[in-house]
This record gives sequence, structure tokens and C-alpha cells, in this order.
Amino acid sequence: MTETTVFTATKIITMNDSQPEASAVAVRGGRILAVGSLDEMEAWGSFSIDNTFCDKVLLPGFVEAHSHSVVGGFWEYPYVGHFDRVAPDGRHITGCRSIAAVIERLRAADADLDDPEEPLIAWGLDPIYFSGESVRAATLDRVSTTRPVYVHHMSGHIVSVNTTLMRHEGIDAESETVGIVKDGSGQPVGELQGMPAIMSVRSVFERLWSSLNASTAKWRFGHIARNAGVTTASELGAAAVTPEAIRQWQLVVNDPAFPARIVIAYSNRFGGPSDPAQMAAQAARLAEHSSDKLRLGTIAKIWLDGSIQGFTARLRWPYYLNGTNGLWYIAPERFREELLAYHNAGLTVHVHANGDEATDLLLDTVEQVLLASPRPDHRHTAQHNQLASADQFRRMARLGMSANMFINHIYYWGDQHLTETVGPERADRMNALATAKRTGVQFSMHSDEMVTPLGGLMLVWSAVNRVTATGQVLGKQERISLHDALRAVTVDAAYQLKMDHEVGTIECGKWADFAVLEADPFAVDAMALKDIPVWGVVLAGKLHPADGRGRE
Amino acid sequence: MTVLGGYLGAGKTSLLNHLLRHNAGRRLAVIVNDFGSINIDVALVESQEGDTFSLANGCICCTLGDDLAMTMTALLKRTAPPEQIIIEASGVADPVRIAHYGTMPGYRLDAIVVLADAETVRQRSQDRYIGATVHHQLLGAELIVMNKVDLVSPATCQAVRQWLGIVAPGARIVEAVCGAIPLALLLDLSLDRMAVTTDVVGDRLVDHRSSYETWSFAKDGSLDGARLRALVEQLPEGILRGKGILTLSDAPTTRTIFQLVGRRWSLKQGEPWDDALPSSQVVLIGLPGSIDAAAFEQALQ
Repeated sequence: MTETTVFTATKIITMNDSQPEASAVAVRGGRILAVGSLDEMEAWGSFSIDNTFCDKVLLPGFVEAHSHSVVGGFWEYPYVGHFDRVAPDGRHITGCRSIAAVIERLRAADADLDDPEEPLIAWGLDPIYFSGESVRAATLDRVSTTRPVYVHHMSGHIVSVNTTLMRHEGIDAESETVGIVKDGSGQPVGELQGMPAIMSVRSVFERLWSSLNASTAKWRFGHIARNAGVTTASELGAAAVTPEAIRQWQLVVNDPAFPARIVIAYSNRFGGPSDPAQMAAQAARLAEHSSDKLRLGTIAKIWLDGSIQGFTARLRWPYYLNGTNGLWYIAPERFREELLAYHNAGLTVHVHANGDEATDLLLDTVEQVLLASPRPDHRHTAQHNQLASADQFRRMARLGMSANMFINHIYYWGDQHLTETVGPERADRMNALATAKRTGVQFSMHSDEMVTPLGGLMLVWSAVNRVTATGQVLGKQERISLHDALRAVTVDAAYQLKMDHEVGTIECGKWADFAVLEADPFAVDAMALKDIPVWGVVLAGKLHPADGRGRE
Repeated sequence: MTVLGGYLGAGKTSLLNHLLRHNAGRRLAVIVNDFGSINIDVALVESQEGDTFSLANGCICCTLGDDLAMTMTALLKRTAPPEQIIIEASGVADPVRIAHYGTMPGYRLDAIVVLADAETVRQRSQDRYIGATVHHQLLGAELIVMNKVDLVSPATCQAVRQWLGIVAPGARIVEAVCGAIPLALLLDLSLDRMAVTTDVVGDRLVDHRSSYETWSFAKDGSLDGARLRALVEQLPEGILRGKGILTLSDAPTTRTIFQLVGRRWSLKQGEPWDDALPSSQVVLIGLPGSIDAAAFEQALQ
């Protein structure tokens, strides 16, 4: 008979509303055998006790229904972003809050490279926080005048480079490529805006690109998840699903040392058939590559618009504060064809809709598709859905849809939303979780890693506090309870990935996937939630301590 | 590089099919969003490598891949790089943004062509979701191909043309059936191929010579640069495309290349004449009535 291990903990928060709390959980063959007190475990026969967590708190492993694995590739290089992040190896990396800090970090990285010819690549730069000051060649030349320096901005669309790199690649006053920024005298300043310009430094860009697609990137993504207590993460459509890519995912994720389950959403942005029915059939067929840890063939992703902070989201009237509106990424007719095809193939479709006009198009289209082809339990999910208003949430509920809300935006861009993008009233009701709850919409919350860092605790903190980076509160009426917030990063996110029967609660029969915390979220101040240390995770009963903390 | 824009159903695919069948001897690369309705004649396909089809007539057809910039860079590295690429913008893309890719090293932007469905474009421009997108696409065009004119009455055709003139004042407008417009308007062809001829559309012969006029001019020796610029700046609105290999009096030892698409034109330094005899040759293509040969010649002499 398979061995049974019982884990004891200070407190087990199950997120199973039938049995909210426990002190022991029995695990057999990777699954939860029983939840309760130690005495109650006796019914299952003999077991060994593991007291590793006797002074810790267990939650269901966090579930992230909208993240991207590409961040693991960037971590091959130094991070120079504004906000703190935890590196895959567990090191706490302080944000670079000034240009001086950026230079200091890059100089240290320069000193660490042995080969004097090797380009120095860094990522995460977000000059929006440097009150108008740019980071260009003049700044980066202070890092090195001999080594090429390449800094990828957080937005993904801009790169800053030093003079050495421009010289190597022949970027000069004669360069005509749109996006090579020049000064008043016609000299390039070391800022490349948009892909045509970024391709001017192709050799370095291609080096970065190959890092992003390497299997080490996927391993790092798993480590990032583990360090944040996430046991089920998603790759929501931004990675290729070619046979080679899937083989790489299988090798990495099915390795017993890989600490997370990964759900890969199908998208057509890297090729594949263009006929919607063939596309949907191919997406569904990917299910044959699934395993307990790797899920394919259940979720499809479609993009409708851009981002709010990038001024590319499609907004309802009166649009952005500057009077503009954003961009469509797909034609409405084509969207309907793709949605209908995936829907008919039995997939759950996750639709990127940032602005409220994009949400309108999504609701109109789901309604048409459901009328044409009724289907129970479709779980089609509005992703981001940041400006959705009460009328839209009511419609979403009637259509049986889910919403995955980008609550971290309140902290990371809330201040900009107040003054730059949509103004106070709409900023206050951004990511309106309380409205979603009131109107009966099934909802979860996401980080969109790498847009914001992966992790359930930060999301929960954002949802119950709604505090911006400068400490302002945005829309306190839209705060939700800690219990609802924890549901939204566990079982309610699992629902949207069609895995709520397997993960998301600590409950008999489900996988023994736990987030192990050093403190009880219900016992700390709400503003301290994001700082609760994460010991690591348990995945199918196997212990994966966060790096930098060591095995206890 | 030529950008081909326009909303869904405007006829981009018909035009691309037309182009791949009649490539005017050019090694073209057509980059499409997807192979959806492109009819790649299997008999013409010489080889296929991933998402890239090589055709017997020297053309290739490929999908966008991971990224347009990377796809375009890879095309330049082929053993026989294409002489011109045509990019099909997605139905909602801004063709002007795509045109920025034509400024990458190794490329030159030739034309921004936007198709408009004569039947539906005005209605689409009022659509709640995509109306502004359709307007914006037309506004960015250098050449608007008003397509499917066979499906509307002459009165409607006239009304749509007028309407296009108002919403896209910077664009030149031509009419087409099934996207069949003379290749000389779409592509940067050599001077001896810049002729407007006939096309077979379905089972019909379309004689473009009744819809367009061509003017050719050639002389030994140089032209006066100032006079040439003055002429080009005053060309009538109906002039759609022009090309020239010239000798200008202010640069007598090198070729000067003249390019004109719609309102945009340029004079760029070309190869030196070396031992060849300097000469000047210009071809202009325009709508009927736009060409005043005597006046043009007089302006240059």
C-alpha cells in the first residue's frame, strides 16, 4: 500500500467553505487523503508525520490564470526596473529608483562579465518613474565606453543603447529607420522605439530572443512560481505551441524537480492554420500532450486590444484623457469566427479585453456565439477587463462568463491612471472586484507576469487595500474581503483554467499542492499581506522550498 | 516594400493573388497574415520550407512568423533575396505603422496602398467598433484602390469616390474589379516595364489602357534640376506613379533616381555613370486627362 504522510501546521486554510480550517492534512500518492485534526487521520491506517510545517500556515497553492513564461528568459540578465522583484534563485532584487541606481547596477554587471566583447544586456527599465529624464547613450556611456550596452524597457517596445553598440551596428546620423530617436542636430541619442528600430541592433536582440525561448527560461519561470507560493501557473498564449516547443515544455514541466503545474493556452500568433475550424481542432488536439503537471488543449487565447498604460486599449466614450482611443488587434468579424470555432471545439476562450469598449465587443460576440451554439459551462473569461462597469458585469453574469481582473494595476500604474490615462472616476472603478462580486460574476485575479510580478499575496494585498505606489487609495468601495481575495487566487482561478476539481482547495481527492506561508494572512495587518514570507510550495506532496531560504 | 492595407473584405487577397500570378518578372516576396484564401497554385510551388512557399516564377509567399521585423530581416539573408516585398496588413492594422518597417536597412518604402470596398466602405466607416479604424486606414493611404466597382452603380461609384476624396484628401484614388490594377502602379518596376496593359480577370479581359495614361520621356545628357523639381511639384492630382533614372545638371556624373507614388516623391543619388553615356529617362502614369505631354516636355527642355 502507498505510504501516507501527514503534514501538521499551525493552521491550514483550506479555501473549502465546507471545512475552512484544519491542523493536519494526509497525503497519499501525491493527493490529499484527508483534512482535519491529527486524530481524524487515524481512520486511514498507519501514517508517518512530517512536522516541517508545524510552525507554518498552509494554503492551497496559489493559482495564476494569466501569466507569461518569457520572464524566465529575461532573468538571465540584470534587472533594472523601478519595483522590487524576487529573482528565480530567491534573491530579493531592489528596484532601481533613480538613474544613478540604474548606472550602479549596470556597472556591477559590467564588472561581472569576463569577455570584454560580450554585450551587456539588461531589462525592466521604466523611465516613466524618472520624472521625464531619459536613459539614453549619454547615460549608458557612463557604464561602458568599450562594451555594447543594451537595455530593454519594461514596455517591451523600446530599447536604450550606448554609443559603442550604435558604432558596432552602424547607427549614425545617416540612419533612416523610423524609431531611431535623434537629437536636434540629427545625431542618434541611443533610444530605439519599435521593432524596426530595435532590429538595428539585431545581433544583441537575437541573443536576448534566444534566451527567451530556451528551456532554462521555463525552469526559471517554475522557480519564480515556487518562490511566490504559486503551484499552478499559466502561459496565456504568448508562447509558441509548435511540436518542438511542446516537447521542450514536456521535458521541463514533467521533470519531478519542476515545482509547478503549467497550463498552456493555445493562440495563433506564432502561426498554425488560419482556418478557424482547423485552428480550433489543432488547439483541442494538443490535449494528447497533457500530463498531471502540463495542461494543453483546454484553453485558447484571443487578443482584442492593447494596454491602458500604453494608450492602446479600446475605451468607451469619452476615451483617454487626451481624447484618443486605442487599437483593435483583431477585426470583430474575425474574432467572432475564431471564438465560435474554439467554442464549438469545447475550449474555454480567454479573451484579452483591457478597455471597456473591448469588453463590449467581447460581450456582444459571446452573446452571438451562445445564441448560435448554446453550450453549458463554457467558462469563457474576460481577461484584464480593467474598466468594466456595472452594466457590463451584469451582462457577463447573465452570459455565464468569468472575469480575471488585473488588480495589481492599482498599485503599479494607479497613480498614472489618475492623472495620465483615464482620470479619477474611472481610475477608482478600475478592476471593480466588489462590483463583480455583487453582480454575481465568477472572478479571479492575475499578475500578467512579467507585466507585474507573479504571486498570490501581492494580488490579495492589492484587492483588499487598493493602494497605489505613492500610497493613494483608489476606489475603496471596490475593496473585497480577504476571504474573497484568497478565493480569487486559488479555487476561483482554478475554475477558469478548468482545474477546480483538481486544485484550488485543500480538500480530499485533490492534488496535495500547498503554498507554505510563515504567517497567517488573517492574523496580519492588511497592509502587511504582501510581505508575508513564503517558505515555498508543496506540489503533489513533494516539498519545494523557495531558494535563498534553504531546506529546513 | 509595398504595404497593402484595408479592412476585411476589401479585396486584399484578390489583389495579392493577382500579383503572384502576374509578377512582371520581379522576384516578389508576399508576406501575408495567413494563407487563408491565398490560392497558391500547387503546380507553381517549387519548394516549401516551414511557412515559406517558393514559386516557379521566382516569387515567395510567407506568413508573418514571430515578428514582421525578423521575417523581413530573414528575407534579406536568402541566397536570392526578393527584389520587392508586399506586406498584407491585417484588417485592423494601421498601414502607416507597417510602412515604418520599410525604413529598416536594406529596404525602401515604395507605396502605401489601401483597398476600399466600394459597396461597404461608407457603412463600415460608421461602425461603432471599427469606424475610426477604417477612417484611419484610408487617411494613411498614398493610393486607394476602390475595389469591386462592378458591384455598384456608376452613381454610387461616383459618390464613393467623392467621399473618399473627403476622408482621405492626401490619397490618389483608382478603381478596380477583383483587385486587378496595373502592376506598374503597385510595384517599383524597371522603366521598360512601366507600361499599362491588359489583365485577365476571371474570364474577362480588362484593358487598363482606357483607364490610365502613360508618359515617357528620354533624352541624352542632363536635365536642369530646378526645372525638374518645379515640374514635379506642379504635377496634376491624377498622376499616380512616376519613376526616372536621370542625370541632373547639378550632379552630372551620377545617376539620380526619381520615385513618385501619389503625392510623395524623392530624388536620390544612384550609381555613378562611369563609362556609360549619361542620359535621362522618366515615365509617369496617371488617370485619363492628367498627362499633358507637350507641357511636360516643354517644362523639362
